[in-house]
Amino acid sequence: MALLELKGIARSYKTGQIKVDALKGIDISIEEGDFISIMGPSGSGKSTLLNIIGCLDKPTSGTYEIAGRRVEKMTDGQLADIRNRLIGFVFQSFHLLPDLDAQANVELPLIYRGISGRERRKRAIAALESVGLGDRLHHLPSQLSGGEQQRVAIARAIVGDPAVILADEPTGALDSRSGENIMSIFRDLNHNQGKTIVQVTHEKSVARYGHKIFHLLDGEIERIEVVNDSISQEVRVK
Amino acid sequence: MTKRLYSLLIRFWFAAKMAGHGILANPLRSALTILGVAIGVTSVVSLMGIGEGARQAVVEQFESFGTNVIAIKAQDASVEFKPEEAEELVERVEGLEMATPVVNTKAVMRWRRARGYVNVIGVNSQFPQIRDHDVIAGHFFTRWHVMQRSPVAVLGYNMAVGLMGGRSPVGQTISLNGETYRIVGVLAAKGSGKAEGIDDKVVIPYTTAQKIAEKRTVEEIWGKAASSKEADLVVVQLGRIYKRKLGLDQSAPTPVTTEVEGGPPEAMMKAGMVKTVMKPGGDRPKKPSIPGGEDLITITNLNQLVKEADKANRVMTLLLGGIAAVSLLVGGLGIMNIMLVAVTERTEEIGVRRALGAKQADLLIQFLLEALYVSGIGAVAGIVAGIWGLNVFERYGFETAVSFQAVKTAAVIAIGCGLLFGVYPAVSASSVPPVEALRRQ
Ligand SMILES: Nc1ncnc2c1ncn2[C@@H]1O[C@H](COP(=O)(O)OP(=O)(O)OP(=O)(O)O)[C@@H](O)[C@H]1O
Ligand SMILES: [Mg+2]
Repeated sequence: MALLELKGIARSYKTGQIKVDALKGIDISIEEGDFISIMGPSGSGKSTLLNIIGCLDKPTSGTYEIAGRRVEKMTDGQLADIRNRLIGFVFQSFHLLPDLDAQANVELPLIYRGISGRERRKRAIAALESVGLGDRLHHLPSQLSGGEQQRVAIARAIVGDPAVILADEPTGALDSRSGENIMSIFRDLNHNQGKTIVQVTHEKSVARYGHKIFHLLDGEIERIEVVNDSISQEVRVK
Repeated sequence: MTKRLYSLLIRFWFAAKMAGHGILANPLRSALTILGVAIGVTSVVSLMGIGEGARQAVVEQFESFGTNVIAIKAQDASVEFKPEEAEELVERVEGLEMATPVVNTKAVMRWRRARGYVNVIGVNSQFPQIRDHDVIAGHFFTRWHVMQRSPVAVLGYNMAVGLMGGRSPVGQTISLNGETYRIVGVLAAKGSGKAEGIDDKVVIPYTTAQKIAEKRTVEEIWGKAASSKEADLVVVQLGRIYKRKLGLDQSAPTPVTTEVEGGPPEAMMKAGMVKTVMKPGGDRPKKPSIPGGEDLITITNLNQLVKEADKANRVMTLLLGGIAAVSLLVGGLGIMNIMLVAVTERTEEIGVRRALGAKQADLLIQFLLEALYVSGIGAVAGIVAGIWGLNVFERYGFETAVSFQAVKTAAVIAIGCGLLFGVYPAVSASSVPPVEALRRQ
């Protein structure tokens, strides 16, 4: 049984009279320990797909199971629990809370899980240390560089020990060196800790950190590319 | 189970903390909103305090007349009472326990080398019980003194202090219109202006006072009813008796209720509240009685006066409070306004929290608490300022009273406003779908 199982996922938006089909029947299964990159032109539905995987959004039709649990019929509260326990988000624009220092930001998911202060602190510090920010615990986001902020966001994503890390253009707002730094953290998380990672990216070099690249076009999976260390094989879907 | 509770507690505590952050993130804005609430609360507390103070002053004024007192007063020179009528009435009227004829007059008083006019009141020995006066030195004059027309006097408190400073004047003598009076007692103070200025009067037997006033009749009779319930019945019975006596029609007199106006107690008694008014020719009174008009007698239940005055003032207090409550409402709208702004400003924050596992309830509580903090701080500040304001008013000679009720009302309304006007923004914050909240920036 795959960790993430999407069958016939479609998502359409209605804006006034116009109906936009952002996703048109996506079938994906992602195994535990996978590192998936999603690529595609702007507007092809990458973020929409990632949001559905992350239970931030619900599909218009289709079924989605995460760790064996059906998501579409869940209540808002249950979805919040899924997001809290099974998913770690990393966003392009970091989305750290500006009033809270690095450590407090990282503690957030644990707070919503109801974990007590001492335990929270311990785990937040460990997470920040694992991304190399052990000396930046009490910096506010505004006092950190973009790369550092994104590392805080990664620490926040992993602190709750989720089943999958979802990243929407995690290097999109960073220069190439910071980007590489971020990607090496991802590779390390995947390789050494067996974390499942799904990321959206525009850059081929970033995408190639993954094992597979899903190419999206107009809301459909056009092809799946399997990345080998030396050569990359391409599998035509249709 | 306890673990679940514990985790809820952690989340609640965090929401409370975040609500605090929300206020501190924009200190000036929060301060202005708090000020809005505080002004509302201050005006409720202080205006109601002033109203309440005025009310209490009037009530005290009337209460100083004594309880269950009924005053029968001639309003026309043609009507006079014989002093014996007082005792007759006690016998005839059920529920009337005591009565005294009253003679009000002035006399020239001599004390050692000083002399001057004083107000003299002539009554019988039951006067202290009827009007609830305590005797603090010596004793009141007796029935015997009254019968014997003894030249004895009981002094009002100020009068007594004026004569001898702190020492008791009992046993000393004064002269009234050239006659020597022995001081036998001193009445307890009622307070300035209270009980028709008794503190500044000289009280003597009515028999003796009649000599000074040079008349055989009296213009007033004061009675005391056994209870407040009986006081009402007594008024009716007295009305019947006097109607017959004065040769008016046989039907029962109509008690007339008229508005009470502020002013010295004398005037209030004359202006009359609930009383029975006799008119010549037996026509039933329709309009409020006019002092010095065609009314012959007024029979007034002073209890009723107290009640009516209290009611009138209560209405005024409520009115003042109501006006103030409007400003409190405006303060509440300020909260709502600010909270709505805060919610739109913080959609990103809301989205992030939702993505990290915050439930709607977490956000609802956070934003609601933020509104409650504002209203709570505003309420406390307003109550403090209101009480302080009342003290200032008091220094300028207003009668005020910090009414616990006003404080309670203001606090409840302020916090209620916070809740009421905080709910909508909080609900709208918590119901933004997470994706939406993250997209909008
Ligand atoms: N809330 C929305 N309302 C209406 N249409 C939407 C909404 N969100 C997305 N869309 C549409 O759905 C389509 C897919 O959007 P999506 O954001 O998933 O694209 P994307 O692949 O992430 O693009 P980019 O690379 O620019 O981020 C687009 O055509 C977009 O206009
Ligand atoms: Mg996108």
